[in-house]
Amino acid sequence: MSAKKESVARTLTVALLVCLVCSVVVSAAAVALKPVQTTNKLQDKQRNILQIAGLFEPGVSVQEQFQQITPRLVDLRTGEFSDALDALTFDQQKASKDPAMSQQLDGEQDIASIRRRADYSTVYVVENPDGSIKTLILPIHGYGLWSTLYGFMALESDLKTVVGLGFYQHAETPGLGGEVDNPNWKAQWTGKVVFDESGEPAISVVKGGVDPSNPNAEHQVDALAGATLTSRGVENLVRFWLGEDGFGPFLEHLRAGEA
Amino acid sequence: MAKATAKQVLFEPIFSNNPIALQILGICSALAVTTSLSVTLVMCIALTSVTALSNFFISIVRNQIPSSIRMIVQMVIIASLVIVVDQVLKAYAYSISKQLSVFVGLIITNCIVMGRAEAFAMQNPPHMSFLDGVGNGLGYSFILICVAVIRELFGAGKLFGIEILPLVSAGGWYQPNGLLLLPPSAFFIIGLIIWALRSWKKDQVEAAEFKMAPQSRAMKEAM
Amino acid sequence: MSLRSFLDKIEHNFEKGGKHEKWYALYEAVDTFFYRPGSVTKTTAHVRDGLDLKRMMITVWLCTFPVIFYGMYNIGFQANSIYAGNPDLLAAQDNWRLALIAMFAGFDPASLWDNLIHGAAYFLPVYAVTFLVGGFWEVVFASIRKHEVNEGFFVTSILFALIVPPSIPLWQVALGISFGVVIGKEVFGGTGKNFLNPALTGRAFLFFAYPAQMSGDAVWTAVDGYAGATALSMAASGGVEQIVASGLTWLDAFYGNMQGSMGEVSTLAIFIGGAVLLLTKIANWRIVAGVMLGMVATSLLFNMIGSDTNPMFAMPWYWHMVVGGFAFGMIFMATDPVSASMTNTGKWFFGALIGLMVILIRVVNPAFPEGMMLAILFANLFAPLIDHFVVQANIKRRLARNVR
Repeated sequence: MSAKKESVARTLTVALLVCLVCSVVVSAAAVALKPVQTTNKLQDKQRNILQIAGLFEPGVSVQEQFQQITPRLVDLRTGEFSDALDALTFDQQKASKDPAMSQQLDGEQDIASIRRRADYSTVYVVENPDGSIKTLILPIHGYGLWSTLYGFMALESDLKTVVGLGFYQHAETPGLGGEVDNPNWKAQWTGKVVFDESGEPAISVVKGGVDPSNPNAEHQVDALAGATLTSRGVENLVRFWLGEDGFGPFLEHLRAGEA
Repeated sequence: MAKATAKQVLFEPIFSNNPIALQILGICSALAVTTSLSVTLVMCIALTSVTALSNFFISIVRNQIPSSIRMIVQMVIIASLVIVVDQVLKAYAYSISKQLSVFVGLIITNCIVMGRAEAFAMQNPPHMSFLDGVGNGLGYSFILICVAVIRELFGAGKLFGIEILPLVSAGGWYQPNGLLLLPPSAFFIIGLIIWALRSWKKDQVEAAEFKMAPQSRAMKEAM
Repeated sequence: MSLRSFLDKIEHNFEKGGKHEKWYALYEAVDTFFYRPGSVTKTTAHVRDGLDLKRMMITVWLCTFPVIFYGMYNIGFQANSIYAGNPDLLAAQDNWRLALIAMFAGFDPASLWDNLIHGAAYFLPVYAVTFLVGGFWEVVFASIRKHEVNEGFFVTSILFALIVPPSIPLWQVALGISFGVVIGKEVFGGTGKNFLNPALTGRAFLFFAYPAQMSGDAVWTAVDGYAGATALSMAASGGVEQIVASGLTWLDAFYGNMQGSMGEVSTLAIFIGGAVLLLTKIANWRIVAGVMLGMVATSLLFNMIGSDTNPMFAMPWYWHMVVGGFAFGMIFMATDPVSASMTNTGKWFFGALIGLMVILIRVVNPAFPEGMMLAILFANLFAPLIDHFVVQANIKRRLARNVR
């Protein structure tokens, strides 16, 4: 029996059979579970957006809650809404690595240290019944100390007051930079004004606590204790995405009512 | 190996022949997934089911596998099971599978799975192999859950994400220990568990590599 | 009844079979603290020297005195200077230590006494906790393993107390020294078998476990709610210019008139203790010279490379020497005979590795402004390897000499 078991034909047959059975099992699992996975992925992102915009209600289905939000694609080069790609499926992370879909940033421009910026971005709009913007949710990302932080920033209808800011993906030091996830810290952002009178991005993260009597207090946020570089990273990435190379032109158009 | 009973096969790996504490296998994932208990539990279930099922299937075909492609056949079976598990997790436990990220896939390379397939399933009938897989999975789970309870409770003041020790930053009294959220802390904890286990079960202590010659009165008394 | 005859009288209780046999370690520790041990070596190996382990450890302990006293004075001086400029802050403090200080002294930064008492109220509790908790573990392990309590702990405890920030909570002190003694030393078999410096191991544990209490700007002054940047963190953000701009001169930094851990501020006080250690040959001069050379060479290299964005590149070596824990680490930590290299050539390499790493961490790593602790622990890990190569090279050389 053992001689027969080791023969070449036998070996090949066993190998083929094992491969066949396994590939059937694997592909069956992958195909059967695909729809559930896609919804999961989408819901996860939608939940993040809802939470940052302050709209999330636990217990209600995410899909239902997300009805009030419309994803729109923005062409960052022109600063206008665009229909060139599907806003729902557009993957900004992937696009910013693709030379055909993104732009190189020079040292001067690249304050968020992201190297390349995608040409398009998906923003999320919460509309009032009359069709005007109630909340605008912008995707933002940039480098902290150890990792790129990915998150969203939600602005009110005046397009300069913050509703919320949060990150859904990062790898900063737990206890120091990782405190960007601290609800107390995130809560400070609510109500801050990110543009000054002249329309320039004006938000800074200050060490040692914000003095409410300071006239600039509405543009200032407390730094994270012991995490200077992460705090600076957050400041820079917010400035970048609100600036000329980020959503600056787009916001200007919106304000003028012509995007 | 003398004929082992089903009970032995199932429970020996938990204390007496623990895959992590005695055989020092599967440490990599033990460091990476133990920061929160719910993630750890899912990882343990995933690993236990892969070990048990791969043992079972390999044992069924053990008499058919030509020895020249033995390892590869084992790998293919294990890898397929891991992919299926990964897909199931992505479908039904999405947020946890996101935290586990690559470590579910890395079950393929987990020494426990391969080691049990080669050492046990190739020589034993399917039902025993299945139990052996479950037992080793439980041994792995036992250590991981211990580590995860310590790390999540003292590192974040929570268990299963529910606050147990109120944190200073949220107005409570507990100052979380940040080291426990970093991977090296799992080394210390596993080390301490091994220390405790070997103080309890002396037969697990390895033989000393060398012995110092006695020099003074005090040393002699100490010996 | 003299102490000696009292000790002799109770000794039988602690010997094998006595009723307090378990506590032999404790008895022995007390006995040999006061008197020379009565035991003599019985093998052929003899060292003819008046210096035994105990005398050596006591010398190191005494050598930290300038650092301790200056450190206490400085804690008080820094805190009182802030209170003097801001009386409201003093009134707002809610701290048992201040009540204690008020019983003995005032809060005048010009008074030596006030400053010293103020500092003592911060340093002594930390030291007492270190000593009690660490000593507890020593006695536990000595009792289980049936050996004597080792004097090395005297040094470990004082060094540990000197390298923590003054505002550290006492329970963290207890946790840190427990980790240092148990994981840094006892799991490997106790004094002489540890490959890491236990005091630094304990500090490293605290550094990673409670970063908010061990790093940043708020912890270095013994005043609640006051953030005073250390010289190193200023240098990390704006180079030497920023240090000078804050009013701190090189001489200030050398004397130690600045914020920092309790023991590491005054390079002068450290060098006074260091000189004694080097003269008595307790600290090995090769290690100290190696650290110094490695540090100077690396910082000169970075000075030459230069950088537009990172001001630390331009920091000269004489500033590196006086800020942060460099001097303290070089004199008291790197020279720990157990965790350093054993061979003479190896000591040079060991020291140079520390010097290289400390500058590398300070300059290039953005997260940690200070690198001395990690540099020494890193070099500790390499010490046996360095020794191995030195010994192998020696064997090869001698083989080559005798081959024909």
